[in-house]
Amino acid sequence: MLHQFADRFSTTSAQSELRRAQALAADDEEFSDAAWGSEAGLGSLAKGVPSFSVPAVSDPSAFLRLHTDDHADPSCRIKIKHGTTTLAFRYQGGVIVAVDSRATAGSYVASGTVKKVIEINPYLLGTMAGGAADCQYWETYLGIHCRLHELRNRERISVSAASKYLSNLVYSYKGMGLSMGTMICGWDKTGPAVFYVDSDGTRLKGDLFSVGSGSTHAYGVLDQGYHWDLTDAEAQELGRRSIYAAGHRDAFSGNTCNLYHIKEDGWHFIGNYDISKMHYEGPGNVPGAPGHGYGYDIRVEGRSSADVAPVAA
Amino acid sequence: METSFGITGKGYVIIAADTTSARSIIKMKTDEDKIKTLSPHLLMAYSGEPGDTVQFAEFVERNIRLYQIRNLYALRPAAAAAWIRRALANSLRSRKPYGVNLLVGGYDTASTDPHLYWIDYFGAMTEVPFAAHGYGAYFALSLLDRYHDPEASLEEGLAVLRRCIDEVAKRLVIDPGKYKVKVVDKDGVREVEL
Amino acid sequence: MSIMDYNGGSVVAMVGKDCVAIASDLRLGNQALGVSSNFQKIFPITDRIYLGLPGLATDVTTLKERFRFRVNMYTIKEEREIEPETFAHLVSSTLYEHRFGPYFCEPVMAGISKTPSGGIKPFIAATDLIGCLNFAKDFVVAGTASEKLFGVAEGLWEPDLEPEDLFETISQTIMNAVDRDAYSGWGCIVHVITKDKITTRTLKGRMD
Repeated sequence: MLHQFADRFSTTSAQSELRRAQALAADDEEFSDAAWGSEAGLGSLAKGVPSFSVPAVSDPSAFLRLHTDDHADPSCRIKIKHGTTTLAFRYQGGVIVAVDSRATAGSYVASGTVKKVIEINPYLLGTMAGGAADCQYWETYLGIHCRLHELRNRERISVSAASKYLSNLVYSYKGMGLSMGTMICGWDKTGPAVFYVDSDGTRLKGDLFSVGSGSTHAYGVLDQGYHWDLTDAEAQELGRRSIYAAGHRDAFSGNTCNLYHIKEDGWHFIGNYDISKMHYEGPGNVPGAPGHGYGYDIRVEGRSSADVAPVAA
Repeated sequence: METSFGITGKGYVIIAADTTSARSIIKMKTDEDKIKTLSPHLLMAYSGEPGDTVQFAEFVERNIRLYQIRNLYALRPAAAAAWIRRALANSLRSRKPYGVNLLVGGYDTASTDPHLYWIDYFGAMTEVPFAAHGYGAYFALSLLDRYHDPEASLEEGLAVLRRCIDEVAKRLVIDPGKYKVKVVDKDGVREVEL
Repeated sequence: MSIMDYNGGSVVAMVGKDCVAIASDLRLGNQALGVSSNFQKIFPITDRIYLGLPGLATDVTTLKERFRFRVNMYTIKEEREIEPETFAHLVSSTLYEHRFGPYFCEPVMAGISKTPSGGIKPFIAATDLIGCLNFAKDFVVAGTASEKLFGVAEGLWEPDLEPEDLFETISQTIMNAVDRDAYSGWGCIVHVITKDKITTRTLKGRMD
């Protein structure tokens, strides 16, 4: 097991390095790299087996864990960005995908403008929770293979097959520290589809999922408002409102909401909504908007639970 | 997996708590009352460390009663909550702290309005229009942000409580099961069936 | 996860020209879960002294009550209002009394003190959780967003600001700092203290 691993991934031996360089050079005899444009770090993937540099220690995944596990050791060297709310649901009119945009490292809000929806191709979307880099890299990689599938089979890959491909892929890295919780959403021959895939290797087909630290808060609103026969406006509003709920209550979610709608002709970006603005003013003049702020204090302003106003003495 | 809710409405507070008493992986009892009536217009739901809960609740119950006997009137909700909070805060720095989370709901007969206090086992306290303890809080608070109305009638208030209970039952790995629901308003305390 | 970060919250105080300002956020959390957006951490001590108490919420309330009691006792015994410097030492010794089992709060004070010549002098101070006093001439910060507050305040603060400008400076400081802190926010409150007036404003902060 280990020697296979070492053979495949080792970058420490000069010989293996040379071997790989020669193999690459042989592939590219006729065209220089410049002719293909930038390969954006994914060059090695298109050519076959992915290869990664690993630290020169006997157990690389334990070594990584030692320096990244911020639950066991908050003062560890590498803090992987955590905290998210993402949701996706299937209904009569397609699929709604909504996510927040906050990235935190410890208590520090590292970014408020993260794109947590990955546009795999015009018919497939992936959401991002857990390790940002893991999701971005592997879902882009999935995009490459979805395209290859199209070219080989002269038809689009099904959402089921695409998600299975990703699931099998991350499962092969199980125990090595990959961290992702994602929803692969799209429209194929069978209609709208949502699959939940995570780095444990779990893959679930379903109508409604939410993933991340704020998912419980999102479920609270989502479950109560969800039914199959939602109109497009109602469905978009439900997605927005649920992400707001999570952004409001969860410290590690927030900033803005990105909303996508997948229909028969592929996905459409509906909009980007500031969560604080939704709290005070609502989402603006959009289909399904309630016409007031989502915030509790704004919604119930002027209403009182007192029986009768106490008479001034 | 213990869960309790508090919801204010027009002239009342609803306090609800699950009725399960669990030890390890076993349900020992499914009709435990975890809401104490502290005075004619005051309710307290308690949850947390087994043993501590009932001991602390009874300690509070007797002291609130003692105050009433000595002074011939009951503490108002704000004063009672402040006293209970201080008891927990002092306990936190004792040799054996009480691990008890509380929801104190009362009707102030002087100012004719309902009050609800969220208190955790550290003794952190805040007055809120609705509250929850336990894992249920992670599902119910966002739901209440969306559906709670301070001017809701009792029927509407109970309908919102029903939503919270259903949501927690739907999403929490272990369903807390049945709930005991009590209401306090200008007429005092009573139990209601959902 | 430190006990100081359990409930979240931050306070900052700044000196201006014959005025001081103190500001805090309004969040009370249970770790990542926001519970209340109206949790006061700044309390009036006298007509000219405000005290901010970021830290563990149970100790915020307990200390508020303790200081109210001790300042009342001082007023009764001395038959005069406590001076900011004296109050700072009262805070310090109250915290040090619990040296081996501390209150998990880092108090921040702001006030206007009287000089022997009859003039006035702005006063701010902060202590750590066991009462080490820090009398600053510019600004003091505390709470979960303290690092961020230092950064913003260091960039925005300047000497001899008039009350209106000091309000603007401290408001921008607290608002921008808490927006970069997951455990602070949910609205802010600012008090500006001058020799004959206290202006209190709640700010519409980000609610996420």
